[in-house]
Amino acid sequence: MSIFEFISSIVLGGIVAFHSSDTTSPIMYGLIAMLIWFMIPFAVNFISLKKRSLRTFFQGKSTIFIQDGKVMEDNLKKEKFSTDDLLESLRAKDIFQVADVEFAVLEPSGLLNVLPKKENQPLTAKDLGLKLPPKKEPQTVIMDGEMILEPLANMSLNPNWLETELEKINVTIENVFIGQVDSDGQLTVDLYDDKIAVATPSEKPLLLATMKKCQADLELFALATENEQSKQIYEKNSEKLTKAIQLLAPILKN
Amino acid sequence: MLSFLNQRASKGEIVKMTVSSQVKVCYSSIKSAEATIQMLANKTQNKQTITAYKQAAQILSEVKVDLQEQVMYLLREEPQY
Repeated sequence: MSIFEFISSIVLGGIVAFHSSDTTSPIMYGLIAMLIWFMIPFAVNFISLKKRSLRTFFQGKSTIFIQDGKVMEDNLKKEKFSTDDLLESLRAKDIFQVADVEFAVLEPSGLLNVLPKKENQPLTAKDLGLKLPPKKEPQTVIMDGEMILEPLANMSLNPNWLETELEKINVTIENVFIGQVDSDGQLTVDLYDDKIAVATPSEKPLLLATMKKCQADLELFALATENEQSKQIYEKNSEKLTKAIQLLAPILKN
Repeated sequence: MLSFLNQRASKGEIVKMTVSSQVKVCYSSIKSAEATIQMLANKTQNKQTITAYKQAAQILSEVKVDLQEQVMYLLREEPQY
């Protein structure tokens, strides 16, 4: 919230409070005053959207407090921030040591935003060099025991498919509280009756296990056979399967 | 596992027979895996995932063809089977 919005909301509150309790002043004045105080922040917003220099004037600029891991004392003084204030704001971001911070900036709204040093940032799949398949949002296809057609159509599935899937896990649709389909087309359900155990989707782990087993079998065959040609074929195919497993493992594991 | 025990016991006909049946089992597992991959590929919405599935299915079908040849070869070796 910018300072203009803050002021105008207080003023608007005052006008409403005054005119609703004071019976002597005409209601028209109150309405006009309110209209004007509505218009001012609206106009300010409109102008600041159009022009950057006016935006910095109306909404203020952000101030850098920590850069390259070093505290900018002059900027702290300019913003009337004491050392305690800075430490408190950092603690709000779960940082208890200034040395852990690479960059911190005070936003015009008064919020301190912090970029921790790389080694203090949470580990991501990118850091580990993991390739993860992109996942889209799941669709809720059953709510309160009723099929919802639109999300089902979004996944290009039909009611027949849903009925078959429910039959596979042996539940009736009336017993399903929530049913969702993920982007891989797997259905997960929560039942009204919590005593019934529902089978979790097992196709993907099973497939991965099958492929791994086949690969191990081929390696065994390659070791066991005495025929040189067969041995080569087994080895070649074992390598191919390893490649396929590597290709699918990130998808099948989650 | 049993076949390898057998193999150590006697390098007879029985050993090769069990090997050929093992290869057959492996062959059918590959077939089933390929079918599962194609099914999953049909169900998923994501294009990248579909490509990965298709590549894997391609590899598996190559392996399948090779294994089929091996099964035929082993059967020819063991006519009494």
